[in-house]
Amino acid sequence: MDVKANEKPMLILKDIHKFYGTNEVLKGVSLEVRRGELVTFVGPSGCGKTTLLRLIGGFTDISSGDIILDGQRINDLPPNLRDTRICFQNYALFPHMTVAENVGYGLKINKWPKDKIAARVNELLDMVELEAFGERMIDKLSGGQQQRVAFARALSLEPKVLLLDEPLSNLDANLRLVMREEIRKLQERLHITTVFVTHDQFEAMAISDRLVVMKDGLIEQIGTPIEIYEKPANEFIASFVGYVNFMEGQVASIDDKTRNAVVATEYGNIEICLEQDNIQSGDDVLMVIRPESLSLSLNCGQKKQNVICGTLKSYMYAGSIAKCTVMVGDKKMIIDQYNPRDAQQFLHAADVEVEIPRSVHLLKKK
Amino acid sequence: MATAELSVKLQSSSGSRVKDFLNANLINILAAFLFLLLAFFLLYPILAVFIKSFKGPEGFTLKYYAEFFSKNYYYQSLYNTLLLGVINTAVCLVIGFCLAYMTTRGPWLLRKPLKIISLVPLIAPPYLFALSLIILFGRNGLVTRGLDLHWELYGFGGVVISQCLAFIPLAFLMIESTLMSLNPNLEESAYDMGASEATILRTITIPLLAPGLLKAALLIFVMTIAEFGNAAILGGRTPFLAPDTYTMITGESDFNMGSVLSLVLIAPCILIFFIHNYLLEGKKFTTIGGKPVASEPRKITPMIKVPFVIITTVAAGAIFICFAVVFAASFYKILGVTDRFVLDNYLDFTSNQSIYNSIRVSLVAATIGALIGVLLAYVIVRGKFFGRTFIEMVSLSGFALPGTVLGIGYLLAFSAPPLKLTGGIMILALNCVFRFLAVGVEAGISKLHQINIEIEEASADLGASFLTTFYRIVLPIMFPAFIAGFIYTFMTAIVSLSAVVFLVSPGFDLAAVKIFDAAVYGEIGIASATTMKLVLIVMICMAILNYISKKTKIGASLEKKGVA
Repeated sequence: MDVKANEKPMLILKDIHKFYGTNEVLKGVSLEVRRGELVTFVGPSGCGKTTLLRLIGGFTDISSGDIILDGQRINDLPPNLRDTRICFQNYALFPHMTVAENVGYGLKINKWPKDKIAARVNELLDMVELEAFGERMIDKLSGGQQQRVAFARALSLEPKVLLLDEPLSNLDANLRLVMREEIRKLQERLHITTVFVTHDQFEAMAISDRLVVMKDGLIEQIGTPIEIYEKPANEFIASFVGYVNFMEGQVASIDDKTRNAVVATEYGNIEICLEQDNIQSGDDVLMVIRPESLSLSLNCGQKKQNVICGTLKSYMYAGSIAKCTVMVGDKKMIIDQYNPRDAQQFLHAADVEVEIPRSVHLLKKK
Repeated sequence: MATAELSVKLQSSSGSRVKDFLNANLINILAAFLFLLLAFFLLYPILAVFIKSFKGPEGFTLKYYAEFFSKNYYYQSLYNTLLLGVINTAVCLVIGFCLAYMTTRGPWLLRKPLKIISLVPLIAPPYLFALSLIILFGRNGLVTRGLDLHWELYGFGGVVISQCLAFIPLAFLMIESTLMSLNPNLEESAYDMGASEATILRTITIPLLAPGLLKAALLIFVMTIAEFGNAAILGGRTPFLAPDTYTMITGESDFNMGSVLSLVLIAPCILIFFIHNYLLEGKKFTTIGGKPVASEPRKITPMIKVPFVIITTVAAGAIFICFAVVFAASFYKILGVTDRFVLDNYLDFTSNQSIYNSIRVSLVAATIGALIGVLLAYVIVRGKFFGRTFIEMVSLSGFALPGTVLGIGYLLAFSAPPLKLTGGIMILALNCVFRFLAVGVEAGISKLHQINIEIEEASADLGASFLTTFYRIVLPIMFPAFIAGFIYTFMTAIVSLSAVVFLVSPGFDLAAVKIFDAAVYGEIGIASATTMKLVLIVMICMAILNYISKKTKIGASLEKKGVA
């Protein structure tokens, strides 16, 4: 995606607060969404992500702050006058209308001439590969087809921003993967600015240009999927996007030239290659160690750099992956072995060694 | 080996063949027994009315029907009744819709108060409104005398107004429940696509609600044309079918003509019952799952908001004033005529006697009704025998039947052997039981649908007989339904008038009949005080029910169905 940094953002949220009675569900949210970008709000339930989406759509009043769409402040515009379109989790297709009538509803409301509506509806149905289904009633469609109709309806008026509220959560697992890819392809082709809401962090990472991780009404971190996964801002984010073996330590030294650092832990010194500049020598840190970055081998008794010894507690072989649990002292470490070719030798192993990679993200302890 | 032994042991322990047969067929035996009850106490009286309408002194004759269709008076009565039904249905539907729209879509601030006021008439006997209209606009009414007006309250207009006020809560409840079951995202989607509030109403809300609205309309129509009290009290010289039937029986003792009149009233009810059951079957629009979010208030345009607010405020205000007026009138001999504050009306012996009688009758009715209701529900939900739907239809039909039919029917059926019941408390209680059976049955059915049949199968699997399972598993689970059915039947029975007015014997007055008589004879104070006592009793029942429904959620599901 070519993002021109100097281009004016499509959507700006400025210090948004939302109260329900005395309950503050959004506690000051600011964000810029670029043109043609797919941004995902992700977080545990109750974090305020759906409320934020409904605020952008105009379905909920904002308590304070500003919403700016393409340079225009839209705080007080009702949904029918905002150039945003929403796709609800349950699709909200009109059950008393056909597929074509559903897709053409917005066009009709906006007083398009009949022939133009028909042409546009055909074009949209073509786009979502439902050209043969125009005359069907909604309840005669499968879940995936309904999802496509909802998507086509939301796109019918070519909105400036498309809002998707957990659009895939009513589909079964396989279909979800297929639809996820389709939505992303279509979004990139149409270059339509999209805000996507999900509680599924893997879906979020797979589909987005950028993720907005939320918790308790606040944004915890904004970043690309790679940034969020590899350089999480805090413990919550680190464990929200995948399992983490946290290891406490203190930075013993940093080589200014090579950026090589040594972290002293209770399991010995770990050498890492520091890629961040917010860490100083002497800092207490948490090492973020992903299960798949660790490697496991049988204990040969020699003392090596970045290798710690432990006991293999369990070894669960599942074909493409083996999940291992190793106890290092009283600390449990999870190790994911992908493509576990030499699984046989671990099945009855007891003493093993775990190698910690040199590229480890550090979190400063407060 | 061990399992074989066990199964032998189980078989031998289940005893004789008779016992086995009982075990296997108990549900069918129960169903047969219940059906006999329904046949004897519901179908037989209706049949008796039917036969009476065709049976002259010389056997079969059509002359009573011929008389009905040839006399202008009866034609006028039929016309008035149907017109009343149509106007009443239309008005209640519009007001009910406005109220429901405001309580489900309107500003938070208005939702609760509007809901409370629109449900308040539920705690009142329907004829409270006739009474309050007399107090306000009657010949000696507060407003009539205060403004020195010369108008006539008694007649078509008075009946329409009192009926509308009385049936608002039913309309409101039914429409509110359909509005609440509508996924709010549908309207939001339309809003999002650029539709204005009026367009959403026209293209989404109303088309989707149409089946629900039609259902509500049919029910209200049936209930208003059959409603006796308001028309009898305020009808004056304007004929309506239900009060005419009453005069025909009590005044002229003409059972043949009375039967014809009540059957004419039943015809639209039957018609509508079938429309309701067959035409609307499966007409409900399915919406796709997912958690429905509570409707947030929208910025409703003044074009819709202003008329809606006006209509709802006027309706709510009128309901409130009616209550206040009856309450005030209960402390004066005749409010506006004698202005000395007295408590005599509350201490009146005949009034209290009638309240006592009503409580006794309703208690008996509620006990029997709730028991039969729960058993019927069980048979209807779990049974697999032929004619199950027929039993369901019959047991729910009493509710839609005009009270006058069952009133006359009981007079005809049970005033002579084989079962002579007239003059006692039982005929009143049984009448209430079978008229309001739907209430207990609905409570039972909705509870049973919450229970997985596997619970019973698990019990049977563990070796329990049908009886044991029923006694140990089903009854305890159904107990809340029994209690809900009990209180609902009690509440409905204690205020009901249209059937029991035929069945009370001299010296054994029921409160509802006492109020009716007092209102007709101008004893406004006594009528008001007795009404207030009933209101109090019903309020207590509601409070108990509310408490139970919070614990078991059964009352809530009933309320949504509009059975009250």
